[in-house]
Order: sequence, then C-alpha cells, then structure tokens
Amino acid sequence: MNRLISQKFRFYSFICIALLLFVHGYNLKETYLTPASLVDEPITFAGYFEYFISNGLLRFRIPMLFMISGYIFSLQDYKPYAERAKKRFVTLMIPYFIWGAIGIGITWLWQQNEIMAQAVQQSKVDQFGVNKPYAELGWIEVLKRWLIAPPSYQLWFIRNLFVYNLLYPVFRWIVTKYPIPWFSIMFILMVMIFQLYIIDAQGMFFFTAGIWLNKTHFPLDKKPIWFSAYLYWLIFIGIVVIKTFMAFEFESHNFVTYWTMMLMHFIAVMAGVVAVWYSGDAVVKWFMHRKWFLWATSFSFIIFGLHVPLLNYVMSLSHMYLHNIPNYRLISFLVIPLLMILFCIEVGALLRKLLPGWYRIATGGRGI
Amino acid sequence: MRILLSILLLYACINVFAQPRAAFTHISTEDGTGLASNVVHSLYQDQKGFIWVGTANGLQRFDGSKFVSFHVSKPGYDEMPQAAVSQVIPADSGKLMLAMVPIRSFGIFDPSNFTYKKIPIKVLRPIPARSQFWVWKTSEGKIYITISGFGLVVYNKKQQAFIEEDPFHLPKNWLPKTAGIFEDAIQQRYWIAADSGLCIFDRSSKQLWHKGYNPRHIPALDNPLLQDNVNRIYIDRKRRLWVLGWSKLGQYEYCFDSTGAVFLEKDTAGLHTGPVGYTEFNYFYEPRKSGMWIYGNSVLFNWDANLQRFYFNKSRLNSDEISIDYETVWQLMEDKDGSLWLATDRGLYYTPLGNDSSNVTNLIFKNDKINTSITDVLELPNGNILFASWGEGIKAVDKYFRPVKHDIYKQPFPEDWSESLKGTAKLTWALCTEPATTNVWIGCNEGVLLIYDTLARRTKYLQPEVFNKKTIRYITNDRFGNMWLGTQGGRLVKYHDGNFEVMQEFGTIIYKVFVDKQGWLWIATHEKGIYAVDPVSNTIVQHYTSDGDGAHVYTNTANDIEQLNDSIIIYGGGVLNFINKKNKTVRLLKYEDGLPSNNVLRLRMDRAGYLWIVTSNGLCRYNPNNNRITPYGRKDGVFLGEQANVCDYACNNGDLIFAGGNAVVMFNPSIFSNNHPPPDVTLTDFQLFSKYIPVDSLMQLPAVKLLHDQNSFTIYFSSLSFVQRDKLTYYYKMEGLDDEWHKADRGYFINYSLLPPGKYVFKIYCENLEGMRSMNTTEINIHIKPPFWQTWWFRSCILFVIALIIYDLHNARVKRLLAVEKLRNKVARDLHDDMGSTLSTINILTAMAKTKMNSDAVKTTEYLGKISDNSQRMMEAMDDIVWSIKPSNDSMNKITARMREFATNVLEAKEIELDFKVDDKVYDEKLDMEARRDFFLIFKEAVNNAAKYSKAEKVTVHISSQHKNLVLTVKDDGIGFDPEKADSGNGLGNMRKRAESMRGVLKFESGEGNGTNVILKVPLS
Repeated sequence: MNRLISQKFRFYSFICIALLLFVHGYNLKETYLTPASLVDEPITFAGYFEYFISNGLLRFRIPMLFMISGYIFSLQDYKPYAERAKKRFVTLMIPYFIWGAIGIGITWLWQQNEIMAQAVQQSKVDQFGVNKPYAELGWIEVLKRWLIAPPSYQLWFIRNLFVYNLLYPVFRWIVTKYPIPWFSIMFILMVMIFQLYIIDAQGMFFFTAGIWLNKTHFPLDKKPIWFSAYLYWLIFIGIVVIKTFMAFEFESHNFVTYWTMMLMHFIAVMAGVVAVWYSGDAVVKWFMHRKWFLWATSFSFIIFGLHVPLLNYVMSLSHMYLHNIPNYRLISFLVIPLLMILFCIEVGALLRKLLPGWYRIATGGRGI
Repeated sequence: MRILLSILLLYACINVFAQPRAAFTHISTEDGTGLASNVVHSLYQDQKGFIWVGTANGLQRFDGSKFVSFHVSKPGYDEMPQAAVSQVIPADSGKLMLAMVPIRSFGIFDPSNFTYKKIPIKVLRPIPARSQFWVWKTSEGKIYITISGFGLVVYNKKQQAFIEEDPFHLPKNWLPKTAGIFEDAIQQRYWIAADSGLCIFDRSSKQLWHKGYNPRHIPALDNPLLQDNVNRIYIDRKRRLWVLGWSKLGQYEYCFDSTGAVFLEKDTAGLHTGPVGYTEFNYFYEPRKSGMWIYGNSVLFNWDANLQRFYFNKSRLNSDEISIDYETVWQLMEDKDGSLWLATDRGLYYTPLGNDSSNVTNLIFKNDKINTSITDVLELPNGNILFASWGEGIKAVDKYFRPVKHDIYKQPFPEDWSESLKGTAKLTWALCTEPATTNVWIGCNEGVLLIYDTLARRTKYLQPEVFNKKTIRYITNDRFGNMWLGTQGGRLVKYHDGNFEVMQEFGTIIYKVFVDKQGWLWIATHEKGIYAVDPVSNTIVQHYTSDGDGAHVYTNTANDIEQLNDSIIIYGGGVLNFINKKNKTVRLLKYEDGLPSNNVLRLRMDRAGYLWIVTSNGLCRYNPNNNRITPYGRKDGVFLGEQANVCDYACNNGDLIFAGGNAVVMFNPSIFSNNHPPPDVTLTDFQLFSKYIPVDSLMQLPAVKLLHDQNSFTIYFSSLSFVQRDKLTYYYKMEGLDDEWHKADRGYFINYSLLPPGKYVFKIYCENLEGMRSMNTTEINIHIKPPFWQTWWFRSCILFVIALIIYDLHNARVKRLLAVEKLRNKVARDLHDDMGSTLSTINILTAMAKTKMNSDAVKTTEYLGKISDNSQRMMEAMDDIVWSIKPSNDSMNKITARMREFATNVLEAKEIELDFKVDDKVYDEKLDMEARRDFFLIFKEAVNNAAKYSKAEKVTVHISSQHKNLVLTVKDDGIGFDPEKADSGNGLGNMRKRAESMRGVLKFESGEGNGTNVILKVPLS
C-alpha cells in the first residue's frame, strides 16, 4: 500500500465518520431511515435537503468504510488467524461494550432531568421501541440494551465488522476463487436488504470488495481509463436528486416503489464510492498536509463512539426549544452535528491527555 | 335533560286537568332529510354516533341532518336486498347484523367498506311457513335467532351461517316464544317464555329450571299466573319482573317483585287507561337515567314519576306539533345525548329525555271556547303558581302543574260595583307580592286593583282614582317595601303607608317598572324610550330614546328591562340595549350578532348571571362572559319559547317561567349549563364527484389518495350529537391550500373543486356557543397525485437524461476530434514514410542520372528505370492511402473488388490462375479505415509473395465470415517454404504487425513443396 492510498484511507475514514453525524442528525418526522424510506410530509427545502444529504449523498460512507476495512484487513495475511482474531476483539468488541455502556449511561443521566428526559423520550432512540426511563426497566432489559441493541445504535458497524473479520478466511477464498458468482449473489441479497441476525449482505459485499481489490492488486492509486469524473458525479448526484424527489412523491411502499428506490440507492452508492475515491486526490493531499486535520483525524473513533445517542438527544432538545423559530429543523440539522463533532474531538483530546490508558482501550488503540 | 310537557285543558275555569307527556319531533319522508320510508322498524346508534335506521325500504344511516341509503352490490360480496330491515344488531368490529324478516334474509353489513354478506340459516329441519324470527345478542356477543315453532339458531362465524343450537337445553317439544328470551346479566340467567311454560336457564350451574324442576324454589316458576301464554319477560333496573302474555280475556301486563312472588299492581297503574280498540303490549325500554316505557301496537306508555302512574302517549294524527302519531311502535332507542328515538310505522320520532329533577315544562292552556291569554305569573310561598289572564282571571296550579283551587274571587265584590266593573276583575294584567304582608297584588283593567290576603284568604277589591281607570300594567316593589305600579295611561304610582301617590306622568303605556340595585326605577314605555327615575328625589335622572340627545337605544318601545351588573341595564327594546348607566353609553346586540330576532320580548336573569331572552324567534340565552347567544328550541325541549312572550318570573328554587298567550315554559336554567366541550366533529361522507366513498374506511387510511383527475370532492361533516349540532360553529382548514381557519356555513359540507395536485390535510373542529372547543381536531390527509409528467422526480429524470446526452455528445465530439487527429497523424506518417522516402530516392536517382546522362548512358538508363519503378510504387502507395481514406470504400464490396482487381493484375502477369471467392455474409460486414487498409495490405503482401516466390500455378483466395471473425485465406500450390526458417524481414513482419493492430491472428501454413496457406482471422466488432 503506497503513501497516497494510506493517506486516502485515513482521510476518507475520518470524513465518513464525521459525515455520519449528518445522517444521524436527520430530523424529519420519521427519523428512521432505510434506503427506500418515503417521506410522509410535504416537500420543503429543509425536508428535501435533509433527505438528499442523509439518505442520498452520504450513503456512500458505510460501503466505503467496509471496503477500506476489508482492504486493510487483507493486508495482514502473514499474521496467524488466532492472533488477528484476538486483536480484533480488543480493537472492536471491547470498544463496542465500552461505548454501549457509555450510551446507556448518557441516557440514564439525561433521564434524571424532567426536560431532558422528555427529549430522550421524544428522540425514540431505544432499539426495542420502549422509550421508558431506565429506572422503570429491569436489569435484564438494561443488559439487553447493553449487549444486544445499545442506544448507541451506530455500534452495529464495529460489531458486524468483527464478525466479518472472523469470517475473513472464507471471504478471501471465495473472492479469489469465485468473485463473479459471489458478488452477483451478494448484490442481489444486498438489494433485498438481506440480514441474518448481525450478518448483512451490504456489509459483506463491500467488505469482500475491499479484500478483492487488494488481492487483485487493483490500482486504487491510479484513475482507471474508464473513469470519468463528470459521468460518475453526474450519476451519483443525479440519481440521488431523483431518488429524493421520489421519496417525497411516491405514495406508498409497493413492489415497484421499493425496487426502484433500492436500485437507485445502490447505483448512487456505487457511483458515489467511485466518484469520491477517484476525484478527491487534490483535496486529500491538501488536508493531509494540514496538522490540525491530521490531529482531528486521530479522534475519528471517539466521534464514532460518542455521538449517538448524544446527538439525538441534543437534536430533540433543540426542537423542544427552537420549534418556534423558522427553519429550526434545517438549522439544527446543519449546526448541531458540527458542534457535536467539535465536542467529541474535545472530549477525545481530554481523554487522551488525562486518561491515556483508558483512551487506548476505549478506542482499540486508534489515534494514540 | 328531560322534558315534561304538560297540557292543561281549562274548560270554563272549572275543569282544569294536567297530563304530563313527552314532546315528540317527527322525521318523515316529507321533510327532505331523505328518510326512505315512514315505516321504520329498527334503530341502532354505533360507536361514532351514527344512527342506523332499518326502514321498509332498506337500511339507512342518519348523521343528524340527512339519511344515506346503502344499495350495496360489490364484486365478491352479496347484494344487499332492498327489503324491510326488521332489526339492526351490532356484530363484531363495527359490523351490523341485519334481519330482513319479511324475506327471511339475514346478513352482515360492513360500514367500513359498504359490503354485505348474506348469512343463511342452515338447518336440517324445515322451518314452518308461519314462523316468526327475532334476532338477539347475548352479553357474550353471540347472536341468536329465535324462530317461533322451530327453536334457536346461532350465528357461526366460521361457517358464515346460522346453525341450530339450543344453549338452554329446553325440555323436548318446548319452544321459546319469538321474543320470549330475556338475559338477566346481573344474575347470569336467561328467562325464557316457552310455549309450555316459563323457564330459567342459570348460566353458572348450566341448569334449566321450570315448573317441573325448580330446585331454587323460584316463586315465578310456580306462580300460576305465569304458566301459560307468557310471551315477553323483562326485568327492570329495580329488579321488578315484567311479564306480558295472553289469557282468555286478552293480553295481560303483570309486574312482580324480583322473585315473581308478589304482584305489584300499583306499578302497573295507568296501563289500562287510554288505549281504545285492539292493542298489543310488546316491548319494554328503560332509558339510562330513569323512566320506563312500554310500547307495541297502539300503545306507548311512559312512567310518570310525579303522578306515579303510566302515561299513555296517545296517537294523534295531525293534532299539534308535539304529539306522536303511530299505529305500531317498533323500537325505542336512547342516543348518546339522552334523546329517545322511536321507530314507528308513521315515521321516526325523537324526544329529548331528562330525569325527574331536570326538565323543561311546556304548557298549553287550552280552552275550546275561549282563547286563554296569560299576562303575568307569580309563585306563592307554598309553591303554587298563579297565572294572571286576560278574561279568565287568576288560575292556580301546583308545582306539578296540577290545577288547584283558589279563593281569590271568593270574596264578594263591593256592592256598588257594576257588572262590567266586576268583570274587570277577570281582566288581570299584573301580579306582585307585597313583601311586608305577603299579600298578592293583582292589577286589572280599568284601574282595578285586587289585594289578596294569602293568610286571611280574603280579597280587597279596589279602584283607586290615582290610576285614572287605566289598566294597571305592572306592579313591583322596592327595597323599602314601597309598591310601584305603572298604568296603561302612563302614570307611575307609588304605594306607601296606605297611600297611592302619582310620582311621574309619562303619558304613554308603561310596560315595565324595574328597580335596579341602586334603587333607581327604570321605566319601559311605549314609544317614549326608557326612563330612569330616582325615587328619592322623584326626578328623571336618565332618559334614552332612539333619536334623542346622547346615546341612542334601538327603539323607543320596549317590553322588558333587566340588570346585568351594577353598571349595565339591559333594555329589551327591539334588540338588546346594554345601557351603561355610569357613563351613559349604549351598546347594541342585534340579529347580526347572533340574536335570534330583533324583536326582544322578555328578559330574565338567572342565578348564574345568564340573561334569558324570549324573542319572536324563540328562547335564547345571553352569556355575558363571552357575549354569545345560545338559542334553545325543540331539540332542547323548549317547544313554546316564542309563544311565551308576555311575562316572566324567577321562582324561589331558581326555575324561570315565561308565559304568554296560552303557552307556558318553565325550566331550571342550570340544566342548560354545559361545562363539557362539544363532541369531536365526525366526517360523515366523502363524495368524489357524484360517488360516495365509505368514510369509515377512508379514516383508517394514512391518507386518501386521489389521482390528479380526482380533484373535485365534497367532505360532509357533523357533530354526531343531535342536540348540540346546531349550536356548534364549525371551523375548517385545508392545510396546503388555506392559511387560515374558515367558519363553515350551515350546510355541513365543504366542497373542493379542481384542487391542484399536492398533499393536503383537511382539519375541522367545532366550538359551542360558550366558546368551548371540541377536544380534538378531526383530520384527514388527502393526497392528490400529480400526473407523472408533473412530478419533480420525472422532471429531474428528464434533466438527468439530458445531462447524460450532453455528456455523450461531448464524449462523441472528443472522440471524433481524437479520431481526426489520429487520422491526420496517420496520413502524415504514411505520406512521410511512403512518399517521403521514395521521393527522396527519386530525387537522388534523378541527380545521379543527370550526372551520368552525358557520360554513361547505361547507368542513366538504369537510374531512369529505378526512378520509374519508384514512381510506380509511389503511385501505388498513394493509391492505397487515398483508397483507404475514402469513406465510399468502407463497404466490403469495394474492398473485395479492389482485392480481386489487384490479385488479377498481379497473377495474370505471372500466368497464375486465380480462384477468388467471397462468401455472401462478408458483404454485410464493415471494417473501419485502419482495419480496411491493414486487411488489404496483408492480402496484397500475401498475393505478391505468391506471385513472386511461390512458382504456383494457382492461387486461391477465400474471404469468409465465421463466428464474428472475418477470415482471409490466400492459398497457393507453389513450392512452399518453411515458416520457421523464413526471413522475417519486412514482408512477413509487417503482415504480423498489421494483424496485431487489427487484434487479428495471422497464420502461415506451409512446407517445402506443399504450397502456402496464409490465414488471417480478424474479429468483427
């Protein structure tokens, strides 16, 4: 892996995580987003903009993160499997439990204040759909929220990643031996949003795509002849624009609607990943020569682990107080994630300085 | 709210009697509400408040303003017969079980989607031809039909049929009477009137008790009166057992105690008086609060708690506006407001119900000979009420409006009174009690004053001169005990210490003398406005007219005056005139402000501070807190409001009495106080163009989705409170179209035409006249889909495609420029390579020839020959370049023709036979310029080689198209060569390079003495 690819991996990992906050800051009436989500409210600039950003433009993040993870993990084939698995447990699952517990703690703390408790309740973050105060839940229920479905719902990514890491030998074998059947099947499952417990087709598709890119020595650092920035950005943005309009204008979730939305989603994601990866070299180089940016990227994992459920609660609280201000939703959507990124970086910096040992464990050794 | 309406028939002042009965409002096919038939069999009010009406012409739904018929015929469902619906029974999930007994058809109607499913009776035994059917529902929700002469069938949901079932295990050959089963939900028992006797089925023990098996010794089962021909049983809320049956003497109606042992004869009082001719008592009904109704054929009784007897509501055809007309009363039903609805064979009736303590009394004094004209009212300390009348004198009734005798006229008239003067004692106009003595003052015509001593029961007949023989129009008293009297002649007379004194002369009729809280006297006059008199100084302190100085009142004539608070005097002159006595201003409240009429006749404040007003358009109430007027009419039980317009009175218990003509209205104002918000508005219908869509199903949808051409519709709405609906103000807004709330008119529908596509939310709420708003706003989402070409996604798709096309065009242009550039480079290179070098050679040879021309002719000739050869080659090369560039040579026809020409020329010169074959399919293929040139040059080289080196006698050329490849074969029968040893000089090497540039394969098959076969395979794009 050359220096440029390494820089790009670091840059895009940080960007993908930072942009995650704008996805989780989506604050229309129905905040739960799937690729085929429809919006049951009149089309407004704020509504369109938020959906366009959160459920369109930024949808390339998770695929890209999975690809980067697959690529990097496949670089270390020389290490024994057991050693790698153990290391990944330390770097993925330990942080999963730590940040899951922190999410529960944050929720509990917010529930101690009447107004903040109302914000927690209105944010509907609880993955079991029971937005009761934790004091009213039994220990079993709290335990389930810690281990299975934490309020820090973004942690599913590192949990799934850990599983894919464990399955890596299988993935490596299959993508090197039978890439076309494998990716064909995965693509179909991905469009169908296949999910078997914590194994999801989208994650597997892009994680194994990362492995394949590495194993086939795909020239990630050179623009392919077939790449046209104009065409890929046009497809990426154009499809997202159309899909966003469809989300507002399609009336019901029928077969045609679902498949149209899903197909457009994956076309946009594919085009987006390619467009973003091959178009941003100048930007990457510029940022990666900035010390402040390099310093900020070291707190990617803190941003990832800490922002949910805090972002949701702050967003909900802001709606309670700002709902009389015109365009309060758009303002919240733009401002609060930014503030949250800064807050997380500050918290990360403090933790790294004051509790370096704990910081190392909580981040899996990232950003030390 | 309950209404007692009494009619007092006064006959020549002697025969006075009172009868309490309900006042009915009639709904019929003639009144435009849409009732399908005046024969109404059944009634049911659903959870929402719609009243379902089973008529002789099918099922209808009543929303308070209109009846909607249901002619159901949908694919996949049964067609609902348009037959008489005898019974409407609630089934599961809001569905209705309909019994159409005349055609022996039963079915379930689903109001949410307007579908009907016929439910057949599936039994093994035949049902007798004369059987009657009665559908009933248990407290557990099971639906049975009792079939006389057959037994019971139960509705089986799985089988979607009624199947035979006897849950009571009746003795063999015992059959229940048609409507003879009563469920006692409290004791969990069923009382069954069977053809062989009375039975009780005990649900807890699952035992059937009857006269032959009575382990609990229930007296009813052993009561000889209840053994045969019982056909109806009812247990009321007092646990009395009511039994209807037939004996040899006719129908009997028994009432027993809860055990059936003691016959409660008193409780049936009145049941045997009233009806004439054939009657059938069939059904019992108890309203929720109190009362008991028994009805059937030619009978309709209700229990009068005051008189402790049943009152017979006589059927009166076209008698008055408040009576009921019926032959048969089929069903009674109390709605959510507490109004009682009656299904009869002469239409639908309703009457507002109340309870014993809250009621409105409407009274009509009837006299066949004289038209009674009530002029004043007064309550005596003993609770009796006196009515002054013009011509009939004083009438007295007790608190239940039963006539009582009085002795006001018992005292003989003064001897010197003429007969005509004596007659004036019956021309009474004003009543008032003198506080100090409790004497009743009665003002009469001709200035006659009767003072009745209620203690000594004696009457003084006076005709004081101070009244100037003018009618005493009004009598009142002030806080000092002074009596004040106003006369027809305009004199204001004060009575104090036994003396009458004229205080003011107004010269016109004094209608009212009102003493305000400050002690001022307010005088309502005829055409001279209202005066305020300070009784202490006997001066007119204020005077308001419609045209004088200062503040104006609406009119100069008024009938009544009241005081709202310390400052405000209300003058009932035309409209409501609020006179602020402190700052001498007048505010008017008129018809435009909600007053029912600009002709205010009576005013009376109640204890709660509300002002009650009788106008020529009925009774209403003014709420000073919100300045709103609430009218009260028939739906509230006030039937005679506009007639009771001459006098008013506030009783000691707070009841108000308004009277006038022969009408009296008496009520407790508190029964109209409404502290509850009005019910939520219900959307009753959704009409798309001319088609009604089931609104129940629409309301269950997240949104009503309409196509772009379905953009004209009407939304009907109503508060499903029949009593309140007309007192509510509805406000609606179509979000997405309206920014503000709009006040709906009285049509109870909103029409939208040609709405543009979009997402809308129709919102509606109501507000009662107290200003209270319904708890919830009723909403329905309406999405009108735009046509796809007007959607933003389609527009953006078009833009996207345009952008792609632009990209493609741009890309094609770039490619074209690149191709041109490439071609120019190629031509330049070819010219340079082929022409340049040859021309240089020619140039050198020419120079050399020049130098040798005079000295060495042989050399010169040799040089010229070389020049000629080079020129020839150059021409050929030039010819090849030009040929390859020329677009007209792109077709395989041209290529093969040139190839044939070339081969013929070369091989003929060498006398080598040529066999040139081209497959037909080849002519369909195309080669681009580069490929064409390379293809030709390879061919050319192969033929040249064959001609030069092969020593062949025959050369075969074959061009074919195989598996998307263009295949060229040049075969000779010459000496051949070893391809391994062959010189890979320019010739063969160039051929290979050209083949590679075409992505083709070039093969040489040859051996010494075996001839040569050159095979070129070029992929076709």
